[in-house]
Amino acid sequence: MARTKVVVDPITRIEGHLRIEAQSENGRIAKAWSSSTQFRGIEIIMQGRDPRDAWAFTQRICGVCTVVHAVASCRAVEDALDIRIPANANTIRNLVHGMQFIQDHVIHFYHLHALDWVDVVSALSADPAATAKLAQTLSPWPNNGEAEMRAVQARLKKFVGSGQLGIFANGYWGHPAYKLPPEVNLLAVAHYLEALDWQRDVIRLHTVFGGKNPHPNFLVGGMASAINLDSTATINAERITDINSMIKHAREFVEQVYWPDLVAIAGFYKEWGAIGGGVPNFLACGEFPEADVRDLDKLYFPRGIILNRDLSTVHEYDHKKVQEFIHSSWYEYPQGADAGLHPFEGETIPKYTGPKAPWTYLQDEPKYTWMKSPRYEGHPMQVGPLSRMLVAYASGHQDVRELVGAALGKLKVGPEVLFSTLGRTAARGIETVLLARKMEQWMGELTGRIRNGDVATFTKDKWEPSTWPAKTQGYGYLDAPRGALGHWVQIENGKIARYQCVVPSTWNCSPRDAQGHEGPYEAALQDNHPLLDPERPLEILRTIHSFDPCMACGVH
Amino acid sequence: MLNPSQYPWADGDTLGQHFESRGVTRRDFLAFCAEMAVILGLGSAAAPRVAKALQSVKRPSVIWLQLQECTGCVESVLRTAEPTIGDLLLDVVSLDYNHTLMAGAGEAVERAKQAAMAANKGQYLLVVTGSVPTKEDGIYTVVGGRTAKALLEEAASGAVAILALGACAHWGSIQAARPNPTGAVGVREVIKDKPIVNIAGCPPIGDVVTASVVHYLTFGRLPAVDGEGRPLFAYGKRIHDQCSRRAHFDAGQFVEAFDDESARKGWCLYAVGCKGPETFSPCPIFQWNTRTSWPIGAGHPCLGCTEPFFWDTMTPFYGRLPNLGGIAVERRVDTIGAALAVGAAAGVAVHATGTILTQIRRRKATQQIPETSPDEGPRHG
Amino acid sequence: MTPSSAGPAARPAPPLFGFGRAFTRERGHFTWVYLWGAPLRAMHWIAALCVVVLVVTGLYIGRPYFMTSGEASSHFLMGWVRFIHFTAAATIVMTGIVRVYWLFAGNQFERLRALAPISKGSLANIGKTAMAYLTFRPDKQPNFVGHNPLQQLSYTGVYLLMVVMVITGFTLYGQSNPDGLIFRAFAWVPPLLGGLQAVRLVHHALTWAFIIFILLHVYLAVRSDYVERAGVVSSIITGGRYVSMDERYEDIDVDRVPASPWPTSEYPVPTKQ
Ligand code: HEM
Ligand code: HEM
Ligand code: NFV
Ligand code: SF4
Ligand code: SF4
Ligand code: F3S
Ligand SMILES: [Mg+2]
Repeated sequence: MARTKVVVDPITRIEGHLRIEAQSENGRIAKAWSSSTQFRGIEIIMQGRDPRDAWAFTQRICGVCTVVHAVASCRAVEDALDIRIPANANTIRNLVHGMQFIQDHVIHFYHLHALDWVDVVSALSADPAATAKLAQTLSPWPNNGEAEMRAVQARLKKFVGSGQLGIFANGYWGHPAYKLPPEVNLLAVAHYLEALDWQRDVIRLHTVFGGKNPHPNFLVGGMASAINLDSTATINAERITDINSMIKHAREFVEQVYWPDLVAIAGFYKEWGAIGGGVPNFLACGEFPEADVRDLDKLYFPRGIILNRDLSTVHEYDHKKVQEFIHSSWYEYPQGADAGLHPFEGETIPKYTGPKAPWTYLQDEPKYTWMKSPRYEGHPMQVGPLSRMLVAYASGHQDVRELVGAALGKLKVGPEVLFSTLGRTAARGIETVLLARKMEQWMGELTGRIRNGDVATFTKDKWEPSTWPAKTQGYGYLDAPRGALGHWVQIENGKIARYQCVVPSTWNCSPRDAQGHEGPYEAALQDNHPLLDPERPLEILRTIHSFDPCMACGVH
Repeated sequence: MLNPSQYPWADGDTLGQHFESRGVTRRDFLAFCAEMAVILGLGSAAAPRVAKALQSVKRPSVIWLQLQECTGCVESVLRTAEPTIGDLLLDVVSLDYNHTLMAGAGEAVERAKQAAMAANKGQYLLVVTGSVPTKEDGIYTVVGGRTAKALLEEAASGAVAILALGACAHWGSIQAARPNPTGAVGVREVIKDKPIVNIAGCPPIGDVVTASVVHYLTFGRLPAVDGEGRPLFAYGKRIHDQCSRRAHFDAGQFVEAFDDESARKGWCLYAVGCKGPETFSPCPIFQWNTRTSWPIGAGHPCLGCTEPFFWDTMTPFYGRLPNLGGIAVERRVDTIGAALAVGAAAGVAVHATGTILTQIRRRKATQQIPETSPDEGPRHG
Repeated sequence: MTPSSAGPAARPAPPLFGFGRAFTRERGHFTWVYLWGAPLRAMHWIAALCVVVLVVTGLYIGRPYFMTSGEASSHFLMGWVRFIHFTAAATIVMTGIVRVYWLFAGNQFERLRALAPISKGSLANIGKTAMAYLTFRPDKQPNFVGHNPLQQLSYTGVYLLMVVMVITGFTLYGQSNPDGLIFRAFAWVPPLLGGLQAVRLVHHALTWAFIIFILLHVYLAVRSDYVERAGVVSSIITGGRYVSMDERYEDIDVDRVPASPWPTSEYPVPTKQ
């Protein structure tokens, strides 16, 4: 039977411009291609800049994971210049990045991913009383009462009745792949709305420490937000109280709304535990240093590599084994099209060879994306919450084992379901719960040090370029919400000579390499993947959204 | 961005009726109008006018295009402050196209966009985030197979006005930083025949966006703008002239290094590179994220992110003056100036010594010449 | 150049003191020539004072090298420094106005033709003068009673510099009141230079040009006093200097200098050969 060519462009409810092309056959996807269709050239723009400014430039790689490039950049420069930041600065960065995870994951779940599973129109026929009753069995969240559910439904009815559906126009409502009962749909819609207000409140933690969000401020050598309990202009008791209340609010919502919703919805879609697994290799570079960032034993989320789904061995991660290929990407290398370059030798030389826009298909092109192909010792790797949780699980991480075990028990499924679309979405929830609990501890450590008179937030001795070596290089790692992130910087005579980023979405959205290995999106879509109706590609959205794509990050 | 379903708007409702149906009391509504009037710089006396305009207005269609960008501006609008009433404000419009939030994908949303543009031709407000790459025929940003430029031109043709939201849409921001590899430009470089308001900032404060929309709905026209096309009600003054640390500037009290004693006292950040003196922005007044704080409030110097080309003109961010591009291994101007001055002083010293020595020699020589009569005296020429 | 009693006809002694008025006095083969009118001299010294004040306060504004401590409200150091900078700026603009008027109303040494190296032969004379400075051969230097072309060049230069400082300075000054006249009057400047930071950079960088000018200018004045022994330095105080009757001058015919010239009277120019 002839294959049907499928194009989904734009993929919505993600960051950036992603195009998925596929060939479907008998309700399954036979082949898939992922193309990122935006290039900005930030690695080129970095050249010749002051390394202390680099965080601000690279931060603009993405306004969704707005913290991560700034911190990775600071760490890369601090590594190159051998700067050790004060403990308070490290804790503040953990708090800021921790809140980034929590807020980003919750927004992803409700506002980007949920509509793949939740039929908004079906919520119209729910019984609000039954919804409230169901909700109360799931969690003690105070806003789950019948009155609230009734109000949400009334608004929804009026909205749909108005005929002006705004962003809900032309959704795939009524698609047979939607499996939730109306009551669960209504509950999810109510929390979709509530999460909008919640995210706005908790992210203010960034504003206290970094002055604004998106794009809070960072500083090579520490953090700029000085601590002084006796000043109105610094971190003081009033601001600490505010932060504590945000952390509490964050944890309550995650534990009482997000996590119960996730488990409840997952219960209806267990078959997705066998769909969309894809690339069997997982990479985590580790994050949340609880001591100096060089002390790799003190990372709350450990680093490591899992190959071929083998959870019995966690291989050591060594950044020197990372290479980027451009076999299918619109770039050229002086070393030749099939060379793999470590980021310290990395090149970003755009060379477009695709068709002239407007275009209809890219799948027949030898090169079809601006995304490079990072490979670890030649292997494509998945990165992200699932990789982190698998590496932690396989390394015997206590907190992770408990929570993963509890979740699998609740769903009555075995660990093999983790290697799937559902597994990625579940792992995201698991790590959010862990971090929501962890935040209180970090905040306690910060206030404890302040109590003991340690208020340092910045290391000054390597600030002046005159104290720097004429030539140096550094690697800044960080496991971002979407996965392992690395920034590699080379500094010559006080200026950036080379800057390369290998980003979570670069790993996950990478195209085929010279060996013909598909990247994780492509492999996932080719892995036992249904597609009932090529006109309404809901299933593609499910699997792609489970990676939480960020194209601006991936290409930069 | 608030999704409109939270507060559905029945066909034919005016805003006033709509608020009522949502349980917003008349008092809340007037308080909101008063606040908006103040934000817009009209003074609270104008509140009734704002109320009247808002109550009679119909929900206009908004098409939001996302071009070459980082999505930070979308996120910023998601953080719009004044929780209940701010959400309500965004519900004032019907958001008919937005990449980040739309339920459908691919062709389905493209069709929805075309339908909305056709139904509201000449009336919809076009919001643009992101820049337009112009090199290589614009293939650096392509959505649905079409270039950013083509998408923008199409959407702009039926728009009543354009809100260029954020530094990218304003002038290109990070993409346009030297050497601007993709030839990124702002909306005004591409669209010349529509009114454009630039909501400056990387990203701008979400409230500035909402207030600009309210202005448009209230008065039926876009807010007055400065030479950069930025609304005066937000960008009319320098940060430096509204800054909470200004008293320390005037007093001569400066942070000299981060986390020094002065930093812990909240002194002025001028000496660590604050660009407040050259930046027009409402940050000190509106503040960020429900008025929680703002960059200088949190101890970091302003980067000047509301000013065009700030990635090149305001860097290095921790220096008070911009780099001298290329000259003398990028040494800073004072180093060069002082070196030249020392050079000049040394030159003077050498020249003075030379002059004195030659003068002495000459005078000795003159004394050895026998006296001449005035008539035969030396006469040059 | 030994003084001799057998010089040209003796001239009557002028009044001894005459600030603002001319006086000539004769000594040997020298004659005293009146060059700088009182307005110009007053302008020079007020401007010189202002420039010194602007440089010192400007450098402080550029890099605050003192700090106060304690309550912000009990200090106004930067405030005063800026106030002084702006006061000096306003003053210097006024001296500038006087100088522009005097370009047309002044005497032959003060007018535009004498200030700017625009007359025929200026270029060649600049070269000759520079060579003479560099080779320590004052005897090879073309003689001028007023500004020599190199001086002309540097003074024109410094006036132009001042214009740039005034323009960039007022541009910066206007920023605090975007509704104001100054802001609007100078609104063309930032786009021209590439933004406010560029304006600031130009203003800041040219400060060093002033410092260098002062160094060279004072040195050259003192030097020519020493080499020519003609009272060059005092000319900018008293208004006149001695001119050797034995030299040939490019700008006056020294032999035809009338006795006791009055301030505004013109000196005879050398006839073309
Ligand atoms: C900031 C300091 C100063 C500035 C900006 C300055 C500037 C000038 C300018 C622009 C002129 C040309 C006047 C005209 O024709 O318009 C001039 C002339 C003169 N200045 Fe100054 N001056 C300064 C300080 C001094 C000082 C300290 C002295 C004395 C040592 C001095 C001695 C003279 C003399 C002797 C002349 C006449 C020049 C000649 O033809 O030889 N100046 N100065
Ligand atoms: C010889 C003339 C002048 C010199 C040497 C001078 C020098 C300076 C310097 C070094 C700065 C610091 C620049 C920086 O690093 O930010 C400065 C600032 C400034 N100057 Fe001048 N300046 C001169 C004339 C003027 C004039 C004529 C004005 C006219 C109003 C002016 C107005 C200003 C202003 C407004 C500032 C900025 C002050 C601030 O931002 O707080 N200056 N000047
Ligand atoms: N991929 C990606 Fe990011 C993240 N998390 C970062 O490095 O999203 Ni914008
Ligand atoms: S203006 Fe700044 S925050 Fe907004 S999209 Fe562009 S880079 Fe991102
Ligand atoms: S902190 Fe910046 S904006 Fe505020 S007074 Fe100081 S220089 Fe001006
Ligand atoms: S950096 Fe931008 S956010 Fe405000 S304080 Fe400065 S304008
Ligand atoms: Mg890269």
